[in-house]
Amino acid sequence: MAENGAKATVTLTIDGVEVTVPSGTRVIEAAEHVGVVVPRYCYHPGIPSRPAQCRMCLVEVEGRPKLEPSCTLQAADDMVVNTASDTARTARQSVIEFLLVNHPLDCPICDAAGQCMLQDYAYVTNQLESRVDEPKRIMGRDRISDDILYFADRCVICTRCVRFMRDVAEDDSLIVAQRGDKAYIDTFPGRELDNPFQGNIVDVCPVGALVHEDFVFKARSWDMDATASVCPGCPTGCNVTIDTKENQIVRVKPRHNAAVNSWWMCDYGRNHLVMTNRGVRAEVPLIRDGGGDGDRGDLRPVDWATALDWVAEKIAALGSPGGSAVVSPDASNENLFYVRRLLDRLAVADATFQVEQGETAELPTVPTLKLRADRAANVAGAGIFGGRRVDALRNGAAADGSAGGGSAGRALVVLDDLLEGAPDDFGASAGFFLYVGTRLPGAARNADAVLPIATFAEMDGTFTNFEGRVQRFHQALRPPGLARPGWMVLSRVLARLGDGEAVNDVRTAFERMAAEAPPFAGLTWDGIGLKGAPAAEANR
Amino acid sequence: MPGDVKVVERPRAESSYVRAAAKGMSITMRHLLSPNKKTQQYPDEKWELAPRTRGTHRMAVHEDGRAKCVACGLCPTVCPVNCIKLVPAEDENGERYAAIYEIDEFRCIFCGYCQEVCPVEAIHLGVHYENAEYSRERWVYDLERLVEQEHPVTALWDPQDPASQ
Repeated sequence: MAENGAKATVTLTIDGVEVTVPSGTRVIEAAEHVGVVVPRYCYHPGIPSRPAQCRMCLVEVEGRPKLEPSCTLQAADDMVVNTASDTARTARQSVIEFLLVNHPLDCPICDAAGQCMLQDYAYVTNQLESRVDEPKRIMGRDRISDDILYFADRCVICTRCVRFMRDVAEDDSLIVAQRGDKAYIDTFPGRELDNPFQGNIVDVCPVGALVHEDFVFKARSWDMDATASVCPGCPTGCNVTIDTKENQIVRVKPRHNAAVNSWWMCDYGRNHLVMTNRGVRAEVPLIRDGGGDGDRGDLRPVDWATALDWVAEKIAALGSPGGSAVVSPDASNENLFYVRRLLDRLAVADATFQVEQGETAELPTVPTLKLRADRAANVAGAGIFGGRRVDALRNGAAADGSAGGGSAGRALVVLDDLLEGAPDDFGASAGFFLYVGTRLPGAARNADAVLPIATFAEMDGTFTNFEGRVQRFHQALRPPGLARPGWMVLSRVLARLGDGEAVNDVRTAFERMAAEAPPFAGLTWDGIGLKGAPAAEANR
Repeated sequence: MPGDVKVVERPRAESSYVRAAAKGMSITMRHLLSPNKKTQQYPDEKWELAPRTRGTHRMAVHEDGRAKCVACGLCPTVCPVNCIKLVPAEDENGERYAAIYEIDEFRCIFCGYCQEVCPVEAIHLGVHYENAEYSRERWVYDLERLVEQEHPVTALWDPQDPASQ
């Protein structure tokens, strides 16, 4: 950006604090280095264009006659910027007052209330209403796409949504229609907003003008708990924030990570994640210990201690029978690690997994962000822990020997795979069929034991994304019934077999995995932090 | 019978109840005739309550009978004892309304914060004290019941001087 290119950095003073930034940095970004967040509407760090049209980020620069918009003003040597001078503050107050000429004060029913930049700046500037007496313009609401509502009255025409679509998604279907106080956001005549990344326009909206239909009137911002997580929709592993209310996921927002998803995420991931915890769940451990009418008895619910003791006893009695396993590419690294240890103990070398396929989508300007064809979060992790990818489950079923008929006495372990398309007698002939899963599909009815585990949203753990980046996710929900994290359950089975200790927290589980699985060598739970860290190259 | 009971012989004038009864009746008669009566004939006559009395709730309604509540969620947020349950929803006109609105009057401490915080002056405390129910469940007032209440609403502030200046 620097015209002469001679100097790499510039040093300027912002609000009395001297700061050195790379040359070409805008003043609004330099101010963040000294902890000053200049109010802004049209500026968004993820959108390259800077129209400087909202006039909210005006700052005073010593020696210049007029206020300058800090989002376009390049930081220069010896510049003395004052973001909170009387002139700057009055200008900001005036901008708010002008916006409040038409912005309805319907905060009580607005979904952005509490997370609204107009509300925040109105309080900061103490400009809570406009002096204009004329009635406010009323435009009503509109459906801008099949799942996004547009409340035109609340819109401050910052054009972030239009510019996101145009500059980032390279899809110019959104426009600002009309001018002045009649301006509103609309789709270009004859075109529809139908982009796999359009959900991001709701996130960039600084007020409550754009609202996702699924979220409308669902939850007030202060009722929600935000949890840092990772999207499980595909191996990209977009960093997200899960907003929950009363143990339900109500909204998913992308979380900034420059190495993965920048500021964005795709609509598939958004919708997938909200739906991920619905459905009938396995809630209580089940074992088949000989009671009931069937030849082998019925599955009956028991408490954890009984179930774990019984499973450990069965495994100890089996010795090393060999056999087969089906793992889920949606399972966390820790779960896969503990399953691997259990399989090693049973001398099961072959673990298969299948990956559902789907449409792909790309965000043109962010090369790392892509909706990939694999619809599972941890395909790389499943591979690291010895999984063999297959196209259809019958290969896995065949591997368990049910086709060959020689499986009597051999083990079959399934980790959280729904076993779609499995035959009715799947695993029936196995010597010991252990089903460890979040749900209870029909194919699990032949299991000797079912251990209910938590989904990724109900526990802490890590996923390995498509390029081997290990990323942490955190517990957003309480697991249903007696379901517990897989690593917690499996470490207890192993502890009863004399292999290691029962693990109660994810940090220990992760560190045990890092100590024993070479791809994770050197990584620590704290070290990977909320942005993730690449696994060792050796794994790939 | 123990032999040491001491029987005290009192003069008749001292042991007679007639004198005491006459004294008591004279007090009764004096109050009966006094203009300064305090007794309230409760079910027939009722206490006049102060306008700021805080009693069980009442929901204000629009002219068409709909509750004024816009389900903003401020009253359950401000309620110090969590006695308000609110589930917002969208009606056929796309407007926000309370699909479920319940106040547990048994748990309520009648602080009046809900009335104070309400942006549309929908929920009010009532100038009302006659509450009796046969079951605890009946103390959870739903929206329909809150709308049906007819007692006057509490004035938390003077309408002429809302900021108490």
